[in-house]
Amino acid sequence: MTLEFLEGGLLTTVQDVGRRGWTHVGVPESGPADPWSHAVANLLAGNNPGAATLEMTLSGPTFTAAEAVTIALAGADLGGRIRGGRPLPSGRSHRLVAGDVVELRGDPAASLSSLARAYLAVAGGVDVPVVLGSRSTCLGGGFGGFEGRPLQIGDRVPVGVPGRAFRVELVWPSPDPSPATTERVLHVLPTSRPGLEELAGRSWRVAAAADRIGIRLDASSDRGGDDDVLPDLPAALGGETLTHGVPWGAIQLPPDGRPIILGPDHQTTGGYAVVGVVITADLAILGQLRPGAPVRLATTDQGTAVAALRARRATLLAGAAALRDAAGWDLLADAAGG
Amino acid sequence: MPEPPVGDRAAFVVESFGDAALLVTLGDRVDPVLAAAAQRVAADLDAFAPTHAGFGRAVPAHASVLLPFDPMAIDVDAATALVRRCLAAPGSGLADVAVSPVPVEIPVRYGGSDGPDLAEVADLHGLTPVDLIDAHASATYRVLFLGFAPGFAYLGGLPAALATARRATPRERVPAGSVGIAGEQTGIYPLAMPGGWQLIGRTDARMFDTARAEPALLRPGASVRFVPLR
Repeated sequence: MTLEFLEGGLLTTVQDVGRRGWTHVGVPESGPADPWSHAVANLLAGNNPGAATLEMTLSGPTFTAAEAVTIALAGADLGGRIRGGRPLPSGRSHRLVAGDVVELRGDPAASLSSLARAYLAVAGGVDVPVVLGSRSTCLGGGFGGFEGRPLQIGDRVPVGVPGRAFRVELVWPSPDPSPATTERVLHVLPTSRPGLEELAGRSWRVAAAADRIGIRLDASSDRGGDDDVLPDLPAALGGETLTHGVPWGAIQLPPDGRPIILGPDHQTTGGYAVVGVVITADLAILGQLRPGAPVRLATTDQGTAVAALRARRATLLAGAAALRDAAGWDLLADAAGG
Repeated sequence: MPEPPVGDRAAFVVESFGDAALLVTLGDRVDPVLAAAAQRVAADLDAFAPTHAGFGRAVPAHASVLLPFDPMAIDVDAATALVRRCLAAPGSGLADVAVSPVPVEIPVRYGGSDGPDLAEVADLHGLTPVDLIDAHASATYRVLFLGFAPGFAYLGGLPAALATARRATPRERVPAGSVGIAGEQTGIYPLAMPGGWQLIGRTDARMFDTARAEPALLRPGASVRFVPLR
């Protein structure tokens, strides 16, 4: 079974939970920029939460399924619809019949604070070859995923055989633990390098330079609109350091005073001062920021960070259990002829 | 930060680095001895704090090791205590850090379209291009660690006379295999990517290949020599 792509979208890549264990030779972990929505899409499709999905950015692909199949969408709403037919909203699964053309062109009503990325799970998972232990696309290295690159017109993407396919369409039952607000807040743990307090007191805007490697932040004037005003940070705060290993979510402060927050495709080592690290629970928020989005950094502590992560995982598990119950009830009703 | 003696592992600084990693700092200078010590600490941590206990792969660099962990599997205090126990354990010392006696030879086409900055860099140092090639190719380099990009080796040992600032404007695309100089470092671009290094040559050696059991051609501790192709 394959999905045939009539359009690739702006940046559509295959991502599973990431490529672990090769960072010591310079290979980024990759994986979904928003791990939460990636897992939700998989659970809705009846997959293991770590199965390979398609990560779509701002404007998604158009594809057709050769056979009937269950898909699920999570994260940003890309205004999905079946060509000539019904809408395909985010946060639920959809049954496709053979020949359906799925269009995910992007939401024309999206604002700067709308989510940036959507995840498409297919029952059975995207079945590209495993490279160095993962199906994730390593865009910088040109390997993994689908031929090591974003999807484009004419690609035929293989889909695995589903272990269990929910024959009913399911809706994600749990509320998003971090509902979209106009100004997104990233909770950050400080490092021994000073500077986070200075950054946390300001309003920021995601710069145009925002991709899976990292995002730049620009100072956001209170008057709004003027993104070119550089922050008046003490000159000694940022700078270069001896190159060391850096994690996803690290906030680097280069000498120019414009922070960089590292994404899932970040280089394994870096030489800029790291003044803080976004907590793991908030990486899902980080991965959904659009260029221009207003954002604030809030200092927190380890206990709060772990509690937030625990709450996210509990919500995911509760959602998964509710889906199983819903699907089980419907399958039972099906079997009983009702 | 006070610099501990390299042999005194118990004096290394261990601090949390976000909610899911620890950073072990051995020192704050570029020094092959520190880099080798970081490799040894990383190897010990990979053995002592394996993935099944909630730890990720250790990432060694010039004088530090980043150790990721899953905060749902192990809490930061327990992780820190485990790292301190590992550092305090009688190590096998630093003398035996693997240094391959036989250098890895990298064949390089210097100058021309393969090394578009060769003449300019030579000129900056008051050398002829041939002198610069001789100086670059007669040194023996040491792989300090890998990072930045898949298979990219940080090499120590560039003759001080060849140190050159990066280009004012980075190139949008540097071809894979390009050999360059940036500051006091020389290196080989494993993949085509943007970059600001001064390019003096190019090799056909595959620096990174996912089809190999060990995808990176250069390993930490290895000696490296550049061999000019005529």
